[in-house]
Order: sequence, then structure tokens, then C-alpha cells
Amino acid sequence: MLRKGEAPGHQTPPHLHKDDGDDDDDAPSGFVKLISAEGFEFVVDKKAAMVSNTLRNMLTSPGGFSETREGEVRFPEISTPILEKICQYFYWSLHYSSGKETSEFQIEPEITLELMMAANYLDT
Amino acid sequence: MASASASAGGGGGGGETPLVDRCIDAAAGGAATVEAWRRQRRSLERLPAQLADALLRRLAARRLLFPSLLEVFQHSVEEIDLSGHIAVDAEWLAYLGAFRYLRVLKLADCKNVNSSAVWALSGMRTLKELDLSRCSKISDAGIKHIASIESLEKLHVSQTGLTDNGVMAISSLINLRLLDLGGVRFTDKALRSLQVLTQLEHLDIWGSEITNEGASVLIAFTSLSFLNISWTRVTCLPILPTLRCLNMSNCTIHSICNGEFQVLIHLEKLIISAASFGNIDEVFSSILPSSLTYLDMSSCSSSNLYFLGNMRNLEHLDLSYSRIISDAIEYIANIGMNLKFLSLSNSEVTSQALCVLAGTVPSLTTLSLAHTKIDDSALLYISMMPSLRILNLSRTCIKGFMMENSVKVLSLSALEELKYLESLNLNNTQLMDDVIPPLASLRALKYLFLKSDFLSDPALHALSSASNLIHLGFCGNILSTTGLRKFVPPATLRMLDLSGCWILTGDAISAFCTCHPVIEVRHELIQELQANYGGTSHLHKSSRQPQQVKAKVAKSSAGPSRLAEICFVDERIKYSKEEMMELQHQAKSNSSMHVAQLPPELRRSV
Repeated sequence: MLRKGEAPGHQTPPHLHKDDGDDDDDAPSGFVKLISAEGFEFVVDKKAAMVSNTLRNMLTSPGGFSETREGEVRFPEISTPILEKICQYFYWSLHYSSGKETSEFQIEPEITLELMMAANYLDT
Repeated sequence: MASASASAGGGGGGGETPLVDRCIDAAAGGAATVEAWRRQRRSLERLPAQLADALLRRLAARRLLFPSLLEVFQHSVEEIDLSGHIAVDAEWLAYLGAFRYLRVLKLADCKNVNSSAVWALSGMRTLKELDLSRCSKISDAGIKHIASIESLEKLHVSQTGLTDNGVMAISSLINLRLLDLGGVRFTDKALRSLQVLTQLEHLDIWGSEITNEGASVLIAFTSLSFLNISWTRVTCLPILPTLRCLNMSNCTIHSICNGEFQVLIHLEKLIISAASFGNIDEVFSSILPSSLTYLDMSSCSSSNLYFLGNMRNLEHLDLSYSRIISDAIEYIANIGMNLKFLSLSNSEVTSQALCVLAGTVPSLTTLSLAHTKIDDSALLYISMMPSLRILNLSRTCIKGFMMENSVKVLSLSALEELKYLESLNLNNTQLMDDVIPPLASLRALKYLFLKSDFLSDPALHALSSASNLIHLGFCGNILSTTGLRKFVPPATLRMLDLSGCWILTGDAISAFCTCHPVIEVRHELIQELQANYGGTSHLHKSSRQPQQVKAKVAKSSAGPSRLAEICFVDERIKYSKEEMMELQHQAKSNSSMHVAQLPPELRRSV
């Protein structure tokens, strides 16, 4: 499958430091790759991904999930814009709980329903 | 490849509020937001039931629901609670009746729901619980529509307009497990027709017209565990071996087991408030003592507690408004090991009662002694109730001190032994300022109520160091403007009730609210202040009134005279009659405030 870069038309928030390099096909050991329904890939810090109880269970369960070994999680029912928003929330949540982030997490009206369902699935 | 990295945060946990809740909150952010997502039909149809239910609840709580919006939830929502929504009417029910998977529909106190409206619910296949309590426009005709909902297991039609015919129509709902007919004045005949509801577990028929003859029908309900027949003429119940909760308040009780001996009902909860008895001991001898955990005998005429005998598992005992005296308290002490709630309010007990109870109620969390004759000597005994969280000493003889060998000893210090005391009510006692300081040392105290003819500024100031206080009621006390200004509230305080502190001015309260925006203040002037907040321009305008009057009076100068004339004409044109009267009122009010604040010398000159 051909890997793709950033989703077109979506702004990158300043606190998300995205690397555009294509150096490595696999995510480093401290990172996990989240793949949207359309195949867009988001490489996020595992600590950030652990904000989701569902992902935490996948990634910490000893040998229980293939995701643990491959460092990839596919979400066939989560669209790219929603998955991007979820990743933003992961980092925002980390920063918030460590006191580095004080602004509110903004949720656009148009995405409330889809984001709600994704968040419900991810238990985050 | 899209990759992201960030410096590691300190904790792995999520933010305090889960993202799901944030989304629900955002979705119910306002009418414009609702418009943004209400047409996303595919998403709405896929919404899991628990999310749809939660979203609908939030919309209802924020009054953002309207009839046509209900339509978008038809495929997802399973539970709806619109209790108390006056707007709910036939149009709403038309949409609700189309819900595919609705299980619970609560419309209690929806005054505009009538018999025609509930037609829309006819034949719903998934509905299991329907609450129409106090929908006073529901009549027998409405019940005929409801009787077509075969899936119903719980029906609440308390205090509706049903008659015997409507009650009899309910007999077709053979799956019913709960039936609430409280306040419906139906007769024995109607109750007999309900015999077919053999699966009933919960039956509420308070205030009905049934008699002992009708009560004999109750044996048909072989799974009955809850029965409320308060305010009826039933004096004798048949044997109901499955009964666990019985309410016979305001009844005359002769027997609860058909007068049989050798029968023990395993009651867990018995409510007999304001009941009278043929033979109270005979009634209690029908109950397995060890099964009873809840006993409400408030307003009963009996002063004897002998029947408490072996009720060692009792957790809740309400003897308020009874005639018991301190001598009877020993029976409570004997069974007090598991007691969590005890009310002796408005009874004849004195501090001697607490002496008897000391050390015998280790699990007691709530104690009410309101409106009793207990005095400060009781506090030492109360301090021997280690689990106490809620203590009500309002309208008692507590003064806050005792005289020992001519030395004034502050008695409230004894309460420091109560490490879990959260709520303390000392309203309408005879406390004075100098006895208040010990209350600031009650570390767990969150709710404090102080009302006395003798409390003033120092009492409030003494509470600045109450480190966990959330809610302070300081009503009807002599609190001055200066006293309020100098008050440094505890950091945790969120509610300050100053009702009845009539000396306070609006300015003082307004200044306090400005300095402490997180504290909700209650006072008679709050409403007026909030109204004035939007009317500050009026205050500004009214302040010019005296100058204009003065200018008008001064006719020696041509300039001022001409200016006065112009202003006067402008004022008449500018304001309507009502506005002028309001300005006049504001001017007087403002003037009196100024007068109150002027030093004596200047006041005399005015």
C-alpha cells in the first residue's frame, strides 16, 4: 500500500511537531502508527496513545494483540480528519495533565458526533 | 508519512474530563451547534444508544430540545426523561411515538400531556417503562391508549385523573412488575380486576379507597415485595410472605398478617409515619426482627420502644415528632450497633438521651436533634459517635458554652473529636459571637448553618480559617457592611447565604461579589442588584438630576438659566412617563444611600 503524507487541507497545530521525512517504513519503538479508514498514517508517541484505554490495553497486553508487535493500529471506521483530531487530543491531554497546557480543547460543531463515537470506541 | 513527536508529559492519564463528555458538551453548546450536526443523519443513525441517551439528556437539561429535533434520535435513543418539561405536548409525543427502540419514557409533571396526546404512544413495541405521574390531564381515555403497549413492565400514573374504569383497563398489561397508582381514588372493585397482574412486585396505591375487603386481593400478587397503602382505610393485611417494604403511614394498623400468630414477615423497610395501632406489640411480633433495616415511625403517638427488642440490623430509625422521652432511649442503645441514621427531631428527649446513646452507636452517620430540649451537656456525648457526618442541632438549647466553677467553657470544642463531621446545623440557637471560634477547627466541615439573634461580624470573621467549608448559611444575623467587607472567606467557600441580614446594603453585597466571583451569595437584594446591573445607565442619568434641578433654581445667571431650560425640555422629550418615575425612584434610592454614607457633620448640613 502506498503511504501518504499529511491529509490535504488540514492545518497542523503548532504543538504537533510533524516530521515530513520518509526515512523509515516502521515506527520507532517509542511510537505507534495509527491508520485511518482512508489509509492515512499518524505516528504518535506511545505515551500519548496511552491516553486511550483501548490503545493502552492493545499496546500493553503481553502478546495478546498483533498491534503490540507491529506497532500499527488500523481504524477502518475512523476517518482521517477525526483520527487527526483524536491525535491532537492525545497530545493536548498529556500536556494538560502535566500543567503545560491551559487552553480548552476546541471541538468544532461539525465533528462532534463523529468524534464522540470515535472517542467512545477508544475509551478516551 | 505523517509522524508526530512531542516532549514527554509527566503523566500518562487523560485530561480530567473524558473526550466523550467533551464532545457531548460541545454538541449541546447552543442552537447554532445543534444546527451544525442535526442533519448528519448517517452519523445519528449509527450513534450508540448510550451516547444518544446522554446527548439527549444534555440537550434537555439545556432546554435545547424541540419537537422536530427529536426526530433525529428515532433510531438511537432508548431512554428519555422529560419530567417537568412544561413544553411537552401532543406534538412532542407524536415524535416520541415514532422512536424505534424506546425503552424508558418519563413524562412526570408534564402538565400539557393529556389523554389525546398519549394516543401517539399506542402500540409501541419496545417500551418497558412509562411515567405519567402528576400529568393531571390524563384520564381513563388515555389509559385505553396505554393499555395497548403490551411490553410495559413499569407504569407510573400517580395523581392522574383516573377513575375505576381507567384502573380496570390496566389489567390487560399482564407484564407489569411495577404499578404506581398513588393518589388515584379507586375502589375495591377496581383492585379486584387487577388480580390478573400476577407478576407485580411493586404496588403503590396510597390514597385509594380500598378497604380490608379489597386488601384481601393482594394475596394474588405472589411476588409482591413493595406495597404502599398509606392514607387508606386498610387496617388488616393478608399474609404477604414476599413483602420486603411496607408503607402504612396515616393508617390505623391492627395486623399485617391477617391476625395470624406464628407468622413472621421478613420486612426490611417499614414506614408507619403518623400511624396509630390497635396493639403495637402484636403488629411488630409479625415481623422478623433481624430482617428490618429501615423503620420510620415519625409522628406516631406511641412513646414505648419496647418492640425494638431484637432489631439489631436496624440502620435507619426515624422517631421525629414522636412522644418518646429520654427513658425510652435505652431500647435504641441496645440495638444501635448498625444504626446509621437516627432522627429524634421534635421529640421530648433531653441531653440525658445522648448520655444513654454515647458509645452505643459506632456507625451513626446522621443524627437529627432539631427542635428538642438538648443543651450543651449533650455535645460531649455526641463527640463519642465517631462516624458522625451530619448533625442537626437547630432549635435546641445549645448556647455554645457551659459554666464550670464559674468559668465559661466553650462547649462546641467537643465536636473536634468528630473527624468526619461534614454538616452542622445550628440555626435558631442562642449562640453568641465568642463561642464560634471552635467551629473553625472542625477540619472535615463543609456545610455550616448559623442563625441566632446574637451573632454579628466577629462570628463571621471567626470562620475565615474554616479550611474545608463549602457552604455557609449565615442567615438573619446582625452583619454590618463593614463586617462583610472585612470578611476573608475560606478558599473553599462556594455558597454564602446572608438571607435576612437586613443591615447589609446592596453596595456592600455587590462589592463582595466582585471580590469573590466564585462564591454564590444569597440575599434579598441580590435580585435587585442583578436587575440594576443592566440599568447602570439609569443610575448615571439619575445622578445628573440634582444638578439640573439646582441649575433650574439658579436664575441669576443667563447662561445657566438657558441651559436649564434646554435640559428640562430634553428630559421631557427623552423619557416616557414610566421612565421618569423610575428615574425619580432611582434618585431617591441613590440619595438615601449617599445620606447613609455621609459623615454626621455633612449630613446635618444637607
